[in-house]
Amino acid sequence: MKIFSESHKTVFVVDHCPYMAESCRQHVEFDMLVKNRTQGIIPLAPISKSLWTCSVESSMEYCRIMYDIFPFKKLVNFIVSDSGAHVLNSWTQEDQNLQELMAALAAVGPPNPRADPECCSILHGLVAAVETLCKITEYQHEARTLLMENAERVGNRGRIICITNAKSDSHVRMLEDCVQETIHEHNKLAANSDHLMQIQKCELVLIHTYPVGEDSLVSDRSKKELSPVLTSEVHSVRAGRHLATKLNILVQQHFDLASTTITNIPMKEEQHANTSANYDVELLHHKDAHVDFLKSGGGSREGSFKETITLKWCTPRTNNIELHYCTGAYRISPVDVNSRPSSCLTNFLLNGRSVLLEQPRKSGSKVISHMLSSHGGEIFLHVLSSSRSILEDPPSISEGCGGRVTDYRITDFGEFMRENRLTPFLDPRYKIDGSLEVPLERAKDQLEKHTRYWPMIISQTTIFNMQAVVPLASVIVKESLTEEDVLNCQKTIYNLVDMERKNDPLPISTVGTRGKGPKRDEQYRIMWNELETLVRAHINNSEKHQRVLECLMACRSKPPEEEERKKRGRKREDKEDKSEKAVKDYEQEKSWQDSERLKGILERGKEELAEAEIIKDSPDSPEPPNKKPLVEMDETPQVEKSKGPVSLLSLWSNRINTANSRKHQEFAGRLNSVNNRAELYQHLKEENGMETTENGKASRQ
Amino acid sequence: MKLYLRTGEGLPEADGKAKEQLSVCILIGNTGIIFIMPTVVVMDVSLSMTRPVSIEGSEEYQRKHLAAHGLTMLFEHMATNYKLEFTALVVFSSLWELMVPFTRDYNTLQEALSNMDDYDKTCLESALVGVCNIVQQEWGGAIPCQVVLVTDGCLGIGRGSLRHSLATQNQRSESNRFPLPFPFPSKLYIMCMANLEELQSTDSLECLERLIDLNNGEGQIFTIDGPLCLKNVQSMFGKLIDLAYTPFHAVLKCGHLTADVQVFPRPEPFVVDEEIDPIPKVINTDLEIVGFIDIADISSPPVLSRHLVLPIALNKEGDEVGTGITDDNEDENSANQIAGKIPNFCVLLHGSLKVEGMVAIVQLGPEWHGMLYSQADSKKKSNLMMSLFEPGPEPLPWLGKMAQLGPISDAKENPYGEDDNKSPFPLQPKNKRSYAQNVTVWIKPSGLQTDVQKILRNARKLPEKTQTFYKELNRLRKAALAFGFLDLLKGVADMLERECTLLPETAHPDAAFQLTHAAQQLKLASTGTSEYAAYDQNITPLHTDFSGSSTERI
Repeated sequence: MKIFSESHKTVFVVDHCPYMAESCRQHVEFDMLVKNRTQGIIPLAPISKSLWTCSVESSMEYCRIMYDIFPFKKLVNFIVSDSGAHVLNSWTQEDQNLQELMAALAAVGPPNPRADPECCSILHGLVAAVETLCKITEYQHEARTLLMENAERVGNRGRIICITNAKSDSHVRMLEDCVQETIHEHNKLAANSDHLMQIQKCELVLIHTYPVGEDSLVSDRSKKELSPVLTSEVHSVRAGRHLATKLNILVQQHFDLASTTITNIPMKEEQHANTSANYDVELLHHKDAHVDFLKSGGGSREGSFKETITLKWCTPRTNNIELHYCTGAYRISPVDVNSRPSSCLTNFLLNGRSVLLEQPRKSGSKVISHMLSSHGGEIFLHVLSSSRSILEDPPSISEGCGGRVTDYRITDFGEFMRENRLTPFLDPRYKIDGSLEVPLERAKDQLEKHTRYWPMIISQTTIFNMQAVVPLASVIVKESLTEEDVLNCQKTIYNLVDMERKNDPLPISTVGTRGKGPKRDEQYRIMWNELETLVRAHINNSEKHQRVLECLMACRSKPPEEEERKKRGRKREDKEDKSEKAVKDYEQEKSWQDSERLKGILERGKEELAEAEIIKDSPDSPEPPNKKPLVEMDETPQVEKSKGPVSLLSLWSNRINTANSRKHQEFAGRLNSVNNRAELYQHLKEENGMETTENGKASRQ
Repeated sequence: MKLYLRTGEGLPEADGKAKEQLSVCILIGNTGIIFIMPTVVVMDVSLSMTRPVSIEGSEEYQRKHLAAHGLTMLFEHMATNYKLEFTALVVFSSLWELMVPFTRDYNTLQEALSNMDDYDKTCLESALVGVCNIVQQEWGGAIPCQVVLVTDGCLGIGRGSLRHSLATQNQRSESNRFPLPFPFPSKLYIMCMANLEELQSTDSLECLERLIDLNNGEGQIFTIDGPLCLKNVQSMFGKLIDLAYTPFHAVLKCGHLTADVQVFPRPEPFVVDEEIDPIPKVINTDLEIVGFIDIADISSPPVLSRHLVLPIALNKEGDEVGTGITDDNEDENSANQIAGKIPNFCVLLHGSLKVEGMVAIVQLGPEWHGMLYSQADSKKKSNLMMSLFEPGPEPLPWLGKMAQLGPISDAKENPYGEDDNKSPFPLQPKNKRSYAQNVTVWIKPSGLQTDVQKILRNARKLPEKTQTFYKELNRLRKAALAFGFLDLLKGVADMLERECTLLPETAHPDAAFQLTHAAQQLKLASTGTSEYAAYDQNITPLHTDFSGSSTERI
């Protein structure tokens, strides 16, 4: 479809000369008396519209339909012509609405029947119409600017609809010649101008209108090419409703419209709520909404515009959370906008409800081919795909890559999506450097930040399974932090320290691991590492992010005094517990080792066996958490050394710890641990020298 | 009097019924998932296809053998890369026959290839008519189809020959119109079992080119380079595969979360406006998610096409290992099982989109967007789908300009509300449409009569209805002034004066005052003098001393 076709610019030229004040001689009864009050009263005499009124209201109806269906890029310029041309509006989009035109027409008022007919002419209007067609519209300007060196691709075509009362065929010929001549002249002018465009194609639609009952002095003539630039057609139409019908046909031709009649709409009247009747409403819309009917040879003949396609109202309404496969959506305009059935239907839709429409068929299955729905006060006819109803067999996502994984963080990603929903920013925003900020780019930036560390499955993460981490995780991804955010992050970290001290269990996944999973202190190591990964991913966002990391690093390291105490404690208690502990630990460690080799699996179900395979088969699946710390062990002590002063919290918690430790006997393993790891089988080492280096393998020899 | 939709919520008693009716289950046309670009293979089985091809030192081949060889190659390619494609096989001579209806079973197609008989002369037009019928019956007029015509370039003789068809092409009636252009979006690929020199020696090539032209230029002619042999046929079909049957691979991205995917069927290039921007737009191979929107907000948008987004596993060289869809082949099986167990972003995204009832907005290119969503079929199988919007800065009026959509965190307050109870969509247009703004249309007398009756009805309920009375009166006044219909103003003024005389004795004294005042104002306006006929000036109620009069509110 071309944007700059003839329908981009329409100029209405309506005759405002004295003879247009003549009556159309079609009476309108306006005094409809209500039965029980009419006794003895004679209704007021019917009135009739003037030729002018008929012309204006028909052209307004043309514009109404056009604006309803094409609120943008289809523009109207309205000119009335008497002793001069009065241009009522411009091509700018702000001028393109009925209210503006109506107000301007009211200011012009009806033609003055007593004016001198000699100095009035439609020619003034036609000349002004050609002039205005040369003027560039904002859309043309925008396209030309955008295309730069290809600016000549932007076409300048238009249509002049002239409603007048011509005297004869030769008078019509004279009007055509005048337009032809004027185009020729103005194209010369436009060639030398930057803000004017030459007219490439102009369609002149001359409508001769005359009072009902008179003979027409002008004959109809179908479209004829007068020159490569100008085509012209002549319509001779009686005034009154005939003129309105003609313009209705023309608007459909000019804008490729088609008609759909919604039938069987169930309605009830306010006064008689118990009775109901079915109503029909006719709508106009772009003909592409009928694309399926036209192609399947439904047979709408060329040039016949009386045809309407009937679609049946479908009773179970659709809900708006269903996503229909829609191949097109076209704005509609009711043919009879103020009729009660029309406004009943449009109000129903404007209240946000949708209705499915089915093709009327005598037999066979229901075929739902369209849907009427409003979006923000505009009603659209949606075309639903209905071509093949055999159910196809698409593969399910669960059969494809990643389809067998069952612990995706679906809920968390749902939350992520809700946080990354879009909203319109209509007012332009500027960056610090003064350049225009594109909201959509901001949205992409945010997605980038929010996904810097985002494990996809539950067994890949600890921190995102912990409620306690939420206050930190939700703010750390932000571009900038407030003091309060930093405080909340610090609180979160202190809280975690506290949890560690209290030895609270962590939601570490045991999927894919055997035995009881990593030990508590190991779990905390994993958790701290992961938290550090998350925070580190954002330290370049701002200085405040940096501060969160500092706090984290300070807190996760053990205060030196405690280390000292542990070392001392280890030496003291070493000998007492050695043998007993060794036996116990040996049992544990043995079963751990066995299952690692897929041996000690007797007590396990088949499911877990399958999970074990995940680890074995897929290199990308989460590493068993117990592997990680081995790698990172070397780094940690360095970090500790580099740390600065001890925080108040850790001082305080140390105090409490010391106080508590007096109340019970500390577990030997913890006391002996270095970095929360206790070395096992030390007795073997002592006995056998260097052999038992690796995880007690030697012990089984 | 007002009308209410019977099924609507206008009247309370209608509610119960409407809800009961909602439980009725119906089959909507689009429940059958259509994401295919079917292929029709049209094979020439006329006698000329049995012409021998001389190949030195080997057994004798006929052209039809070469054709079958090429098609086998095509079918094999599709069986591996285009498992979801539907293909039909039509053979033709002077008659045509649908050998294999649309199927995904390439064995059946292969078998049919080896069971073809030889028939009489070539009659292309009837075969093309056959293709029209087959496709339209199966897919309607909206699904794009690829037609692969395999022929030797002998176009028949006499009536029914292509030359004859083309010569009479302009003298057709609606009932026997020439089948091209196909009445559905299509590509016509003509595979000639002949080399260029051979075709150029007659007017065959010209005629075939006319066919492509008639199909609005959609399609291409392939000829054999060099001597007719198996190898050269292979390379010809290789070119077709490269052109039309290469899988579209892309990377789906959401920030740092990514997945390799195949988009199926391949998205076609799209021309927005052949005059201003004649270069077809092609979608990016990086599909970048820019944000998310609720399904209720995106609201069944119109789309150009829709596609399955299948996660694929790529090996180190970047070759496709498989889509993970289970297959009979054992080697693939284990590879697929591994792929199935590696977490994939597509599966996560799909799951959350489905649970939350949302779509992801994805950028396809400069000023081109689409949406990703979960699509379920009736068997509760579901998959990740992508629909393409029309390229342009504002594909959906109710979302506004795509570039102006930004993250909610940039807004002063959450536009979705703290309890997720509101939405920034749909955007309201600046100007209301005629049906939403109570426009005045008097083309039919009933329109005018209704408006006059409204005034009259309110006139009889003065002073209670003073506000509505003046509102309706002013609406009529404005329209009459714009249409230059001053006689109407006079007529209505007369009517109001008469109403005044008909007031019952029990009427409120204010009623008479207001009626007289209104009539007088209308009469003044009907003179058309600028002082009284200003469009923007309204007739305001008369200030009276009657206590409790609603007029004081003005």
